[in-house]
Amino acid sequence: MTGSVDEPPAERQTIRLLLNSATLPCGAEMDLLFEQVADGHAAELNDHQRDCVHCQAAFGELSVLWAPVVEQAAVPVAAPPGLTEAVMRQIRQLVRDVWYTLQTTNLGFIRIAARIVAGVARDAARTVPGVRVALGRSTHGKLAALAEQATFKHRLPHAAVGVLGRTAVVDLAVAVRYGDPVQEVARNIQKQVITTLRENIGLETVTVNVNVDDVLIDDQ
Amino acid sequence: MRPEPAISDRYLVARARDGYLDAYEMLVQRHSAMAYRLALRLCGDHHDAQDVAQEAFVAAWQNLERFRADSSFSTWLYQIVTRRALNKVTRGRGADAVNLLDEAADPGTAPDAQAERNLAADAVTNALAALPFPQRTVIVLHHFEGLSYAEVAEVTRSSVPAVRSHLFRARRTLGKTLEDWR
Repeated sequence: MTGSVDEPPAERQTIRLLLNSATLPCGAEMDLLFEQVADGHAAELNDHQRDCVHCQAAFGELSVLWAPVVEQAAVPVAAPPGLTEAVMRQIRQLVRDVWYTLQTTNLGFIRIAARIVAGVARDAARTVPGVRVALGRSTHGKLAALAEQATFKHRLPHAAVGVLGRTAVVDLAVAVRYGDPVQEVARNIQKQVITTLRENIGLETVTVNVNVDDVLIDDQ
Repeated sequence: MRPEPAISDRYLVARARDGYLDAYEMLVQRHSAMAYRLALRLCGDHHDAQDVAQEAFVAAWQNLERFRADSSFSTWLYQIVTRRALNKVTRGRGADAVNLLDEAADPGTAPDAQAERNLAADAVTNALAALPFPQRTVIVLHHFEGLSYAEVAEVTRSSVPAVRSHLFRARRTLGKTLEDWR
């Protein structure tokens, strides 16, 4: 009989001893050995470790102990569906970007949020050859500011409500492909965006500001 | 729409500061898995993790002006998520243990082997949850997120020796808990 029934098995005693020790009998520091194992360098033995039974036994025990952590760390975790949309919804509420284009028809008014106009413009710009990235924003230009002053702002001073009327001012930040003629790409963007906004949204007067602020090579 | 070409976080941050919301949306898409994963491992609860990730992105957007250009956006986001997770955890709501392996369960794995893996995953999850928050943070950032000691120090606003010292203690604590499970 070598021990009582309640005594843990020998390998558990060994690992407990290890985890409660500052050093091994050979003088090697336990924390440094554990670090070596946990960082995945257990196979990179130094001169002492190559000849030391204590170190090699410790590496074996610690590697088995740490394996579930390594396995768990490798499990891919995806973002839950809808996270990006939830974030952007919250941010748009904070921005209070409630600018609209306003068109009058025989049947009534048509209002299209300025951010939708910017989105359509951005998507149109992305179809132009040479464009690597296009970002769109609607701007509060002078005309829009005047409209705001003249319409709602004095009544609703805390809400940035205004109308752009049938005029849209859209800013595009664009990164183009290295080697393509920048001016030509920019002009093509303006043409494409203006045409798309006229055809898809019915905006007659469109100002499209194109800011080419980056040039990317193809594999960037 | 064409697939979005790769572009640097630095460029997107600059444009987001200029008011281009879709630049920020691209940043959120790019980093949402990381933010959620970190929050999940720090909080141990899906709902809390989702809240923390969402709050962190909104807070980051609100503070874009304060973001230092010499730092990386992901390091900054790690900081914000970690701080928000700490707030959530210390608010005292009990964290339900979460088994990350459940989400990635391989249907082809034999039931016994899968059960064994789930047990191991539970053991790691519970062992992580039992760690004091600072120790959990360094373990998650270094061993789960793969950040270097210097990066962990930057995220935790600490020093490399302090991070290493926390890791020494955390590994022993984690090891003892895992050993009890074996």
